[in-house]
Amino acid sequence: MAARRFLSDLAAIFPSDRLLTERAQLIPYESDALTAFRALPRAVVLPESQDEVIETVQLCYRASIPFVARGSGTSLSGGALPDEDGVVIALNRLNRIIRVDAEHRLAVVEAGVSNLAVSKAAAPYGLYYVPDPSSQSICTIGGNVAFNSGGAHCLKYGMTSNHVLGIKVVLPDGDIVEMGGESLEGVGPDLVGLFVGSEGLFGIALEITLRLLPVPESYRTVLAAYSSMKDAGDTVATVVASGLLPGAIEIMDNLTIQAVEQSFDAGYPTDAAALLIVELEGEANQVEQEFVELEKIINNSAAYSVRSARDDIERSQIWKGRKGAFGALGAITQAYIVQDGVVPRTQLGAVLSEIDELSVQYGLRVANVFHAGDGNLHPNVLYDGSQEGMLERAEQLAGEITKLCVRHGGVITGEHGVGMEKRDYMREMFAEVDLEMMQRLSRAIDPRGIANVGKMFPGQGVPGV
Amino acid sequence: MRHNIPVEHFGVQGVAMATTVENCVHCGLCLPACPTYQLLGQEMDSPRGRIMLMKTALEGSLSVEEVRPFVDKCLGCLSCDAICPSDTHYGELLLSFRAYTEEKGVRGKLPEFLLRSLAVETMSHPARFRIAALLGTLVRPLRALLPDRLGYMLDLLPPMMPTPTRFPEIIPAEGERRARVILLTGCVQSVLSPEINRAAVNVLARNGVEVLVPPGQGCCGALAMHVGNARKARALARKNIRLLTADVDAIITTAAGCGSGISDYKLLFGDASDCHLAAEFAAKVRDVHVFLDDLGLRAQFGKTQSQLLTYHDACHLANAQGIKQAPRRLLKQIPGLELVQLDEVEMCCGSAGLYNIEQPELADQLGSRKAAVVLKSGAAGLVSGNIGCITQIGAHLRSLGNDMPVLHTMEVLDRAYNS
Amino acid sequence: MLPTSQYEVQEAVLQSSVPLRVRGGGSKSALSTSSSGEAVLELSSLNGVLEYVPEEFTFTARAGTQLSEIEDMLAQNGQWLPFDPPLGGRGATLGGALAAGLSGPGRYRFGGTRDFVLGVQWVSGTGDLLRGGGRVVKNASGFDFPKMMVGSLGRFGVVTEVTFKVFPVAQQFSTMVLECDSLNDALEAMTRLSSCPLDIFSIDIEPPATLLVRLAGEGRALSLRMRRLGELLGDGEILLGEQEEDLWVQLRDFSWLSPGECLIKVPITPAVIPTLEARLVGEKSQRRYSVGGNLAWIGWHGDVNEIDIILSESNLSGLRVLGSAGAAWVGAPASAMAFARRVKDVLDREGKFLPI
Repeated sequence: MAARRFLSDLAAIFPSDRLLTERAQLIPYESDALTAFRALPRAVVLPESQDEVIETVQLCYRASIPFVARGSGTSLSGGALPDEDGVVIALNRLNRIIRVDAEHRLAVVEAGVSNLAVSKAAAPYGLYYVPDPSSQSICTIGGNVAFNSGGAHCLKYGMTSNHVLGIKVVLPDGDIVEMGGESLEGVGPDLVGLFVGSEGLFGIALEITLRLLPVPESYRTVLAAYSSMKDAGDTVATVVASGLLPGAIEIMDNLTIQAVEQSFDAGYPTDAAALLIVELEGEANQVEQEFVELEKIINNSAAYSVRSARDDIERSQIWKGRKGAFGALGAITQAYIVQDGVVPRTQLGAVLSEIDELSVQYGLRVANVFHAGDGNLHPNVLYDGSQEGMLERAEQLAGEITKLCVRHGGVITGEHGVGMEKRDYMREMFAEVDLEMMQRLSRAIDPRGIANVGKMFPGQGVPGV
Repeated sequence: MRHNIPVEHFGVQGVAMATTVENCVHCGLCLPACPTYQLLGQEMDSPRGRIMLMKTALEGSLSVEEVRPFVDKCLGCLSCDAICPSDTHYGELLLSFRAYTEEKGVRGKLPEFLLRSLAVETMSHPARFRIAALLGTLVRPLRALLPDRLGYMLDLLPPMMPTPTRFPEIIPAEGERRARVILLTGCVQSVLSPEINRAAVNVLARNGVEVLVPPGQGCCGALAMHVGNARKARALARKNIRLLTADVDAIITTAAGCGSGISDYKLLFGDASDCHLAAEFAAKVRDVHVFLDDLGLRAQFGKTQSQLLTYHDACHLANAQGIKQAPRRLLKQIPGLELVQLDEVEMCCGSAGLYNIEQPELADQLGSRKAAVVLKSGAAGLVSGNIGCITQIGAHLRSLGNDMPVLHTMEVLDRAYNS
Repeated sequence: MLPTSQYEVQEAVLQSSVPLRVRGGGSKSALSTSSSGEAVLELSSLNGVLEYVPEEFTFTARAGTQLSEIEDMLAQNGQWLPFDPPLGGRGATLGGALAAGLSGPGRYRFGGTRDFVLGVQWVSGTGDLLRGGGRVVKNASGFDFPKMMVGSLGRFGVVTEVTFKVFPVAQQFSTMVLECDSLNDALEAMTRLSSCPLDIFSIDIEPPATLLVRLAGEGRALSLRMRRLGELLGDGEILLGEQEEDLWVQLRDFSWLSPGECLIKVPITPAVIPTLEARLVGEKSQRRYSVGGNLAWIGWHGDVNEIDIILSESNLSGLRVLGSAGAAWVGAPASAMAFARRVKDVLDREGKFLPI
């Protein structure tokens, strides 16, 4: 089908102010948060109803035109990277919160609702939506579902997939499927579980039923500074071994701390080799009792400085730096590649030392910030893209780190997904037969190969910088 | 973000623009803070998208004409800068880019350009503006017959034009003199709400501050800067810089727009021959809230009633200058005064320099949104530190049928002292 | 067939000429009992723990490993599967628990089988030996086949090895038993609990009107929390220690079933419970409502077709767990079964396993 015919068919669905085709309109959509990859789509559409999305997908199917669904374009793995021959379906305007059911602890929302908006809508009922990626003020539920987004509370509460009860999906061939429902339980295969994290290859989730939990009554947040990463890691092991199940355990290395302090005044000690944040949450009585134990552990550890939040404001202050860490890196480097490997917790120390060695070997700085509770690392490879060959070297180092994680028994991505960025590393984790099965399944659900093509599987082309 | 901007082509401002692009990591955390993104829901009208567009234009892959419509819709409220985790300084890119496009002679559509120039030429000169405003109040009954643009502007005028205030050159301190300051009378403010400056002078004097009000002052240049007319902005700024040379502890402004504009003098003057003078001048300028907060209020308040008010953060105070707590601290010292927090407190009211003239539909939407939120708060009155916001929100409250007082912080303090 | 390794399982699948019914310990009789035209693939000899590092909060074991063995191993290290998969006492295996997707009352607090499974090794109907997921608690690589297997009853393939996340076991438990005046009162009390900030471990209802609320914790905090619970709900009997533990073990093991009663799992929501109760009271059945009213267990004495119709009429889907051979799913078709068949077409093109 000729491009012109396709565009005029799109124009039958969308008014001109919601069908973008001019270069100045398209360029802002050519990339998500992984700016190393850029591609200009044929068009961007801005649906405001589920029907418009369905019609668009059906049109794409008839015309065999690729489509890429985009929430807020915050993907760190290139998940929203457009296809040059295709259309970007921007879902940020499909943003109705259909209902919040306090009695059943669930919310039904459209794909374009932001993560934080769900918690805001649930707040009057004393409920909230648990998964909290750092981009939660803007990232959309649709994007969270596509990539099984995580956040800092995954050890205790799991990832997005553990909080999705049901989804209404438009498949790449235009069929509508409703999976799951409102109950926590189900019979039949867990298709919701299969869809979450399928990175757009199985179609687009239009409407999502989310599980809500009661807002924790009380938090106890501790910030401890260490003069070695090993000491921080050991403390984490002790905390975990004690039987405490903190809501969050985070570590930042010195480079990250410096970036954060330069960008905003979080009050972090800039000479610390590692900063540990441990947060307990739950009923006040229980948290206070657990806090006594946590305090003992931290005070007996090698921490040289310990700070506990006494109220909400101090708690926000402790988290402010951690939550803004990725952005803050922009203050100390021209560019960086964010990695997302996971390793078994007991391997953290060994892996971090190896990352140090690799960093020296490649002559590139690596700023580490990670979810120590679940072993999810975010080694950020800092580089200056204006220098010849630097991007390539940074990519190589990033790749080595990813492979290193797998070697130690981990996985290539904990929460950012494979997208464009880690396609080739799928081979580190999965055998050919595994990849073939996944691709066969993908082709069966997307027979014309139009849904977020080129992502997830190795051996495909790359739109350049 | 990587870029191919030929920095040398753009002179001193080139570095500022390139640095902004480099610091931006395209994370998108600015989107929820951006009023135009909230209203328009498209990437081109977000800070992240505008950085991308400006970058591409500077690289030469897009013409300035193609990029202008989106950059023009930016309020310059700097809510994005306030929230950006990466120290991106979007405001510097915006200011420099607008100046660059003006210089290049890319002026947009002719009627827009004329309207903008007319606005700057009028509003930056109090005498002219006063005449224009008076005329405006006269033709207001004919609003329905006038083009929308003019109509919007007329809506912003106060119900009645106030009589102008002529200040004595020196207002002595009451009691022990604790400081000596010059008052910047501003342009628009001195015409639309001279009572703000009167109140500020009273409050300062009561607290032991001697206030000098040199006649012949003019606009600080902020308006012209805002629309990218750097040359005019510098010309206006120079007038004040040369005039206001008395030896004082601070030069006080009661208009957030001025304080913010003056804080950009370094960028504005670049490597001009008198850039040092400009920088020295700017270093002496203090927002009245910060000055009083630092000095400490000592005067006795009168018998005040209990009142529930709400405070609106002007973007040019909160985002551009980081001034959020000082006004609140001052207000909370008034006995009986309770402050209630506004929803969406960081969202711009739509006033933003000449935004009402340049983007009337969007300004109108933002103004209504802000007025609705003010009504929802249950407050009996609104306080703000900027004439633009006071005018804008006041007009929208009135159009919703509500006539609650919308006052400058100084007016609230002055009334409390007088009660 | 009694394979002892994943390769033997692979062989068995490739060789089979009739649909295979996979059986672990045979604890879920309605699902393990074969009909004619099927062959049973018995996994009880495919057992053994392959890896368990308590500090990692994970373990990997062969699918045929008995739940009771796992529970003992974990308990020795102060750990457990908090969702307490049922029928461990009847020889339930890890793979069977996964494939049936059954969870006990503990599912309320931290989630069920689907929230604790991390990785699987499995043999597809195409005879491929595959891996999905991983061995770490956080993973977004590739399609989530581990979750897909939950509740799939071995229709997509046979799981040979599974990795689970575990949690530290709670030190103590305490249960409040509240006898309400009516089912509606009990449901209303349950609703009150749903948005309160108490960290509740289990909420079950024993019809007609007994509400069971379980808290996990220890020490002084636990007593304070129980007191808060009492303030919220009113005066109920408080159970501790062995008596308390027994109560929940019995619920988990379905000791309340009468002999000859078959057991059906029905996902539900609290709003629908009164309708179902009204329909079933007086019929030859018993019910228990678990997981905060999200899970109904129906003990049914009568004809399967009858309960099939009753559930369909209320738009509920059910899974037969204990009973005679026959259809696994009853009532309204579970959502997206057509999509599930599309998936099966890829994973088991030739129908080596039972149909969906």
